[in-house]
Amino acid sequence: MEKQSHLLLWKAVFVLIIIGLGFGIYAGSKSIDYTWRWERIPQYIINTEATTVRAPFDGTATIEKGNRLVVTSDYGDDPLVIKKFDNLLVGHGDLVFEGDPLVEVENWNIGPLTWGLVMTLQLSVVSLVFAVVIGLFAGLARISSNPALRYLSITYIELIRGTPLLVQIFIFYFFIGTVLDLDRFTAGVAALSVFTGAYIAEIVRSGIQSISPGQMEAARSLGMNYVQAMVNVILPQAFKRTLPPMAGQFINLIKDSSLVSVISITDLTKAGREVVSSTFAPFEVWFAVALMYLVLTGALSWAIQRLEKRLSASD
Amino acid sequence: MTNRTDKSIIQARNIEKIYPNGCHALKKVSLDINRGEVVVIIGPSGSGKSTFLRTLNQLETISDGTIHIDEVSLTDRKTNINKVREEVGMVFQSFNLFPHKTALGNVALSPIKVKKKPRAVAEQEGRELLKKVGLAERMNNYPSHLSGGQQQRVAIARALAMHPKIMLFDEPTSALDPEMVGEVLDVMKSLARDGMTMVVVTHEMGFAREVADRVVFMEDGELVFEESPERFFSSDNPRLQRFLGQVL
Ligand SMILES: Nc1ncnc2c1ncn2[C@@H]1O[C@H](COP(=O)(O)OP(=O)(O)OP(=O)(O)O)[C@@H](O)[C@H]1O
Ligand SMILES: [Mg+2]
Repeated sequence: MEKQSHLLLWKAVFVLIIIGLGFGIYAGSKSIDYTWRWERIPQYIINTEATTVRAPFDGTATIEKGNRLVVTSDYGDDPLVIKKFDNLLVGHGDLVFEGDPLVEVENWNIGPLTWGLVMTLQLSVVSLVFAVVIGLFAGLARISSNPALRYLSITYIELIRGTPLLVQIFIFYFFIGTVLDLDRFTAGVAALSVFTGAYIAEIVRSGIQSISPGQMEAARSLGMNYVQAMVNVILPQAFKRTLPPMAGQFINLIKDSSLVSVISITDLTKAGREVVSSTFAPFEVWFAVALMYLVLTGALSWAIQRLEKRLSASD
Repeated sequence: MTNRTDKSIIQARNIEKIYPNGCHALKKVSLDINRGEVVVIIGPSGSGKSTFLRTLNQLETISDGTIHIDEVSLTDRKTNINKVREEVGMVFQSFNLFPHKTALGNVALSPIKVKKKPRAVAEQEGRELLKKVGLAERMNNYPSHLSGGQQQRVAIARALAMHPKIMLFDEPTSALDPEMVGEVLDVMKSLARDGMTMVVVTHEMGFAREVADRVVFMEDGELVFEESPERFFSSDNPRLQRFLGQVL
């Protein structure tokens, strides 16, 4: 009983601190005379603005069966037929002049922030696949008994982990990209997967080494060759054990993908910068962008937690 | 003295094993084992028993000497060691079951992946083997939900699923609580009765007396002494006496 009320107290403290932080942000923006214009943000995510269709010539409007608007020209131009619209702005038989509004069409346009999100997602997913493949082979090479493979892998891992991702992106785009004639997206994906692959390699290595050698011996004693033993016995166990660090690495990848905006890939971050320059609402935009990244990373960690639960049946 | 060479299924001659760290684990060890024979190896800790056993399926390579399993040379570079290992089952002190597979999954894995048997066939055979070792009710349990004795019996069934000609046991009961030793030894005894060729490293002198056709004593990497159980346990070899004095 004593303990429960303590817990409740600390939960209340937590809520108070969060409220305090929120108020701090509000007060901070007040102190610099910032006017919040949240209403400007949604249109950059999904744009439902109606566009008006105007008459291209002088003529007469008729509304036909099936709700079709037909405008016949006074000067013999081909008649204008509009089949789909949301609001009709003229009546049957009205005379219209060039430039008069005829109908409104509501179109659902995907806004630049959503396009940025899609690009970030594409970058992350494609890079993830390559990074896992690179990491798996580099990790296996790292523990190989063949010195050539082992040293190659160590060199790769140390080079990548010892240099900033931003610099690697520039090298991939300006040097390797120029030599091999890569487009921006490919160069970005290459940089991200090579970078993340080095970290995954270390996770794979430690995962495999954490499996007791007896597992490999048992598999080999049953007649499996090295590859069969790896695929059927060692890697499934290592996979389960490395899920938590892998999840962290995947989340890092999503976040690191924001750096490719420096080579003019319009990912979520670059889209954010562009929207800021057209809305002059930097605070709202960057909060919205942060929230969108959170949705991606949150969905990923949720999915991985589900997977972990499912794999825990054998514990 | 019978001439064993023509019917022996295992021929180990002058095996030397020097580990990379310089440890000289086997010194001129020679042993022939006949088809259907049960050989028990005993000896003090560090005498090279495990090392010797593991050379027989090449989990350890040898530094010198020759080993033939069913007339196939293990030192010949052309020998496919995976094929040999299909014929030589091994049971470990620490079970080494695959924790991500159920009991049945453990038993069926290698027949499916190595022998390319259809899953249904491999699982049917697996169920029969598990029944044979008394685990009909535990087929779908993961190893973490089995007792030590049950795990070791699954491990035996898993090795048998490859239909080996030889079974190697490395202290199969040493990691078990005393009350579970019996159930594992019973499975091994029935295997011996069925005519399996077995090489068993153990400290269970009762098992050696009852089941072994021959008992081998190793010390300091050397094969000191080999005899039938009756003569073995009544021998007055001083090194053997000293060891038996310690364990009995
Ligand atoms: N992987 C290895 N590397 C180096 N030395 C080893 C290795 N494995 C065993 N040895 C050494 O080889 C010798 C024989 O070891 P082995 O495990 O064969 O003994 P054992 O008779 O099985 O002992 P136990 O009864 O304790 O299992 C020991 O001195 C041991 O330290
Ligand atoms: Mg041993």
